[in-house]
Amino acid sequence: MTERGDGDDREGIERERRRWLTERYAATPERAPRFETVSGLPLPPLATPADLAGQDWLGVLGFPGAPPYTRGAHPTMYRSRLPTVRPLAGFGTPEDTNARFRFLLAQGATGLSLTFDYPTLRGYDSDDPEARADAGKGGVAVDCLEDVEVLFDGIPVDRISVSLVTCNPGMAIVLLAMYVATARRRGLVPDCLAGTSQNDFLMETAVTTARRALPPAGAFRLECDTIEWAVRHLPRWNPVSFVGYNLRETGATAVEELAFCFTHARAVLRELGRRGLGVDAAAPRLSFFFSAHRTFFEEIAKYRAARRLWHRMVTEEFGATESRAGILRFHVQTSGVTLTAQQPLNNAVRAAYQALAALLGGAQSLHVAAHDEAYCLPTEGSARLAVRTQQIIQHESGVAEAVDPLGGAWLLEQLTDEIERRTRELCAEVEARGGIVGATESGWLHARLVASAEAYRAGVTGGRLPVVGLNCFTEGDEGLPEVFAQPPTTARQAARIRRVKATRDAARCARALDDLERVLATNETTFPAVTAAVEAGATLAEVHERFRARYGAWTLPLA
Amino acid sequence: MKALVAILGLDSHWRGAVAVARALRAMGVEVLYLGNQFPEEIAEAALQEGADLVCLSTLSGSHGELLPEVFRGLAARGVQAPVVVGGAIPPQDVPALRAMGVADVFGPGRPLEDLAAWVRRTPGPLSG
Repeated sequence: MTERGDGDDREGIERERRRWLTERYAATPERAPRFETVSGLPLPPLATPADLAGQDWLGVLGFPGAPPYTRGAHPTMYRSRLPTVRPLAGFGTPEDTNARFRFLLAQGATGLSLTFDYPTLRGYDSDDPEARADAGKGGVAVDCLEDVEVLFDGIPVDRISVSLVTCNPGMAIVLLAMYVATARRRGLVPDCLAGTSQNDFLMETAVTTARRALPPAGAFRLECDTIEWAVRHLPRWNPVSFVGYNLRETGATAVEELAFCFTHARAVLRELGRRGLGVDAAAPRLSFFFSAHRTFFEEIAKYRAARRLWHRMVTEEFGATESRAGILRFHVQTSGVTLTAQQPLNNAVRAAYQALAALLGGAQSLHVAAHDEAYCLPTEGSARLAVRTQQIIQHESGVAEAVDPLGGAWLLEQLTDEIERRTRELCAEVEARGGIVGATESGWLHARLVASAEAYRAGVTGGRLPVVGLNCFTEGDEGLPEVFAQPPTTARQAARIRRVKATRDAARCARALDDLERVLATNETTFPAVTAAVEAGATLAEVHERFRARYGAWTLPLA
Repeated sequence: MKALVAILGLDSHWRGAVAVARALRAMGVEVLYLGNQFPEEIAEAALQEGADLVCLSTLSGSHGELLPEVFRGLAARGVQAPVVVGGAIPPQDVPALRAMGVADVFGPGRPLEDLAAWVRRTPGPLSG
């Protein structure tokens, strides 16, 4: 067996390490009773080649762009193509957000990421009495196809990749249908569209709370409908982005982040297989969204473990033979939950080192959180600083010029192995609890997230997790010079809805919605029927009424 | 003591509200966790349940519009229970919320222990 790295004399190194620990290391007391990552993985005082000896170097690490892809998705990584600078944007009306898009592209953004307001994500139109206070908040308001046309006015959708941060499947299917319809109205062939839909049933059934969420099984069906249609018709579109980031923000550990994503991806691959799409066709189209949290090495190790786990899963479990099927691709966002309202400029420093971890871990795309996130959506100034942060790392630091620069670091490889091992164990537990859909329906998944969130909170409150400016070094909080004010939205959107409803062909729209309801009762993919409905002028809420009529509402088993 | 905990409007974040519900329960408060609620529903639930305290969480930015409606609903029903608010509340909004009648604002980073201390100070079964 080929030994990994330079661990030839494993026994000798191990013997010397023990001696070093007792004779030298133990002579000086440590400053804490134990050292671990934020997720609770033990951090040994020193890793050596003996930690890695006995493993098959080629089988475990190998080369970038080659199985098992631990060291990177592509052979040349950032020496060929830098990660996409993909800042999040979305607030107010489509006109407001279109202006922010243009500003970000002028700052050097190379991709866009579109967030939606609370009513849109929940399937409400802006003129609904329950929606009026939240319209345009936390994201852009979208009610009808015309909104998406305005959003992307002047944006070259055939040349820039766009991530639709649609969260849940009921919303994802409508927005992707509107995006495709927008391209068609411009005379473009939908084949040209590149981007990603966040389309993850966990978003409303475990990660966030919603009043009229679709139940897990129904949402999962719509999720797979979108994926199936996109795999067949949109060759450059990632029709799902498994929300590891959001799970993590909700409280998950690094291992939970991976395990809940991979058990979910496994369920999707099985379902697509039943629909006649084999792993070689489906797997290359699944993408992932991960967090860059506070423990630097844990995050880098997590990305490397994730690539290896994915390759092993699709080849060993699903028998993938097409090489693209085994290559995990992911977008990273620096962690919002690690940011503080106190001394907010400190957040720019946190985001910078988290972004560095993402790049050292081989991310394809990155959003750096703005330093004012604890209070508001980013101002133009804070959004620009976040974009500049990524640009400085990519263009000045030199880390983008080496492929997997930390590969072979003993501590990092040991953490990578440990995260892979623990993730496999947790994946097995999720399967034993009925798979990701069953574990969500039973409330087990949510209880797990609550427990992890509580452990993190207790760690911060009790001081085990120091947070500068919050529980230590608290003097000198100057606050924020400016808080972004979300523009009033409800009246402007209500006017557009009134106009669209007054001018559309009402009979055609009703027929399209009835047809959607008919398809929902079958096993066919609903994507074409949703597209026909939005092209006929149906609003988001009108489509959602049909979803709810079919699947009912589900309540998160909370607190 | 009986506390009502709810998330205001269509906001999607449960982490803070759940942490508050658990912390209050741990100190012996009877907690009614209602998830997402609109102002009228909150006021009606406070009346029907005889709540001694109303805890509302919001991170969406809807507090400026929805909280006045909560107070109107409570006043219309003669409910006197204090209302505390937590979540992403910009510091510059706090004076207006206090003027509106919010008893205290537990913004980002303020520890749960502050809320616990506040509850102990509030006249009722748990106060000193």
